[in-house]
Amino acid sequence: MFKRSIIASAVMHVGIIVAATVAWPHAIDLSEDSPPVVPVDLVTVADVTNIAPTVEEQKPAPPPEQPPQPQVEAPPPPPPQAEVAPIEPDQKPPPPPKQVEETPKPPANPVVPRPKPQKEAPPPKFDVNDVLALLDKNRPKPAPQANAKVAETTQKGFGDQTALTIDVRDALLAQMRECWNVPVGAPNPEQLIVQVRVFLAPDGSLAQPPLLEPASRAAAASNPYMRTAAEAALRAINVCEPYKQLPPERYAAWREIVMTFDPSKMIGR
Amino acid sequence: MMGAGTNWPGTSLKALLLFVASLTLSAAQWTPASAALQIRVDQGVTEPIPIAIPDFIGAAQGREIAGVVRADLERSGLFRALNPASFIEKVSDINVPPRFGDWRTIQAQGLVTGQTVAQPDGRLRVEFRLWDIFGETQMVGLQYSTTPENWRRIAHLVSDAIYERITGEKGYFDTRIVFIAESGPKLMRRKRLAVMDQDGANPVFLTQGDYLVLTPRFNPSAQMIAYMSYIQNRPRVYLFDLETGRQEVLGNFPNMTFSPRFSPDGKSVVMALESNGNSDIYLMDLATRSTKRLTNDPGIDTAPSFSPDGKQITFESSRGGSQQVYVMNADGTNVHRISFGAGKNGTPVWSPRGDLIAFTKITESEFGIGVMRPDGSSERLLTHGWQDEGPTWAPNGRVIMYTRTLPAGAGGVGGGSQIWSIDITGRNERRVLSPGDASDPAWSPLIQ
Repeated sequence: MFKRSIIASAVMHVGIIVAATVAWPHAIDLSEDSPPVVPVDLVTVADVTNIAPTVEEQKPAPPPEQPPQPQVEAPPPPPPQAEVAPIEPDQKPPPPPKQVEETPKPPANPVVPRPKPQKEAPPPKFDVNDVLALLDKNRPKPAPQANAKVAETTQKGFGDQTALTIDVRDALLAQMRECWNVPVGAPNPEQLIVQVRVFLAPDGSLAQPPLLEPASRAAAASNPYMRTAAEAALRAINVCEPYKQLPPERYAAWREIVMTFDPSKMIGR
Repeated sequence: MMGAGTNWPGTSLKALLLFVASLTLSAAQWTPASAALQIRVDQGVTEPIPIAIPDFIGAAQGREIAGVVRADLERSGLFRALNPASFIEKVSDINVPPRFGDWRTIQAQGLVTGQTVAQPDGRLRVEFRLWDIFGETQMVGLQYSTTPENWRRIAHLVSDAIYERITGEKGYFDTRIVFIAESGPKLMRRKRLAVMDQDGANPVFLTQGDYLVLTPRFNPSAQMIAYMSYIQNRPRVYLFDLETGRQEVLGNFPNMTFSPRFSPDGKSVVMALESNGNSDIYLMDLATRSTKRLTNDPGIDTAPSFSPDGKQITFESSRGGSQQVYVMNADGTNVHRISFGAGKNGTPVWSPRGDLIAFTKITESEFGIGVMRPDGSSERLLTHGWQDEGPTWAPNGRVIMYTRTLPAGAGGVGGGSQIWSIDITGRNERRVLSPGDASDPAWSPLIQ
């Protein structure tokens, strides 16, 4: 009995081995013929995403109850009144009067003291869209879709783009491209990279003057070419104001921007 | 939440967990909200900066000075002088800050205000201020005084100060050009040594055209010119002192000397000397007049030019079979070829900034001006012409002048040579005004 079962077991084992030797080659053949592996990423989709759908201008929008229109903020408060001071505190005093020929320098020439420029509120800028808006009061303002979920925070998306801000980025880049006058004639222009922090008001105007990031500020203080590059970047930001193309409902995404100005691709063009 | 805890360790653990959770939550909330949007701007425009330059206040040449400053800055290609008719504010006192809003309205990004004052001693005082319209600050303010007939130089100095403050680079407006003024019919061409301001004003002829003159070059103080002349049919290098008008032959060599150029310290002249159909490069000490041979090769070596630090010399040589650009140490060692592009390459000139070497490229169909780095990399051709040749650098290394020869039309009519300039970016190519035909320009350093 016991012996028989051992024999049966041995027979079955042999059978399995034989079957395997017959079947294996086919299995290998099969694997060789199999199509290339298609990698599949398993992505878990969160129950709630905050990727706001693109708000498209739709047929007659519902009566503009209270669309979150860009708020027209008062221009930044005027800076403190003019004080009669030779120059701004963070500026070097003006170079001493130069003489072309050796003439005794006129003592305390009236040129040197200069009152600090009194800042005025910037004049209203002409914008064709404003005029059009006045002419066509019936034109419905683009209202957010009823179900459009407005994102309040930025969230990292795929790649190095932030899902929410791709179109904001594109809009900004398209605008800056027209305003940035690239200082290409300096030696090694590819090294003149400047970073500026920009603060925007909801209406797309500059909420405060743009600020050089600390590293750029330090470089500009020590290298005249960097100073030129920094001034060109600041001019570009000023020239481009106001930033009208940005979606007002996503103000949080573009309230504060760090712009890196990189001239390396503009060399020799 | 933390309750009056009897179970102290448990509460503690719960509190810790809560604390960690709240930290995580606040990090999740705060990090994105406080992170600024990052954008990288790598495309832009290259356009002249709009600048407003009203006539300077003051009866004495105020209008003329502003006119020269406008023309200087416009010619650089980096500025666009706005039409004075568009100005809203009329500047009446340069010591009062301008109404920046008025200037922004007309799209000005910079404003230059100035005045001229006739001094009791007969001299002219010129003051100016450059304003940043967006920053609402003064960028530079200077004054100069001089004799009234010197007003053009003052205007160029004002242009230089503005250019330097905005570009971060020294200007080149208070400079002169030495060149060969050409006149007369082709077979009886009269070539005279001449100098003029960089804008073509104040041309002066230094020689009368009785003999051929070629390749004039300024010394570093812009007071001395080295050039080649065929006086008594002996082609030799001469020196011309602009102050005294005196000229002298540089060394008494039995054979032809040519293609001279000063060293950066002005103490020596490097030039080519021909002997038995071969030419090599020699260095002559101006104080002792002793010479040193730098190259010794059966190929034709010529057109030497020092690097601004005086440590190297670039020159052209046919030693490799065709005319190409080479670089060697100032003592003649370490000779190596740097031009490997198409065609032949000659007349190399080292930029005063040191970063580039300009040269003439010769292909089958044309002569053009190119630049490359001193190691031969990054070669770029800036101009294309029937015959563009002989580059010379502005003292700031931003602009190159050269000779453009035009082909003669049918029957030999037309043609002639002109001086042109171009920015090293390849932009802003324009003709330099000169009295009649002109060739072989050499740019002076900034006038001291």
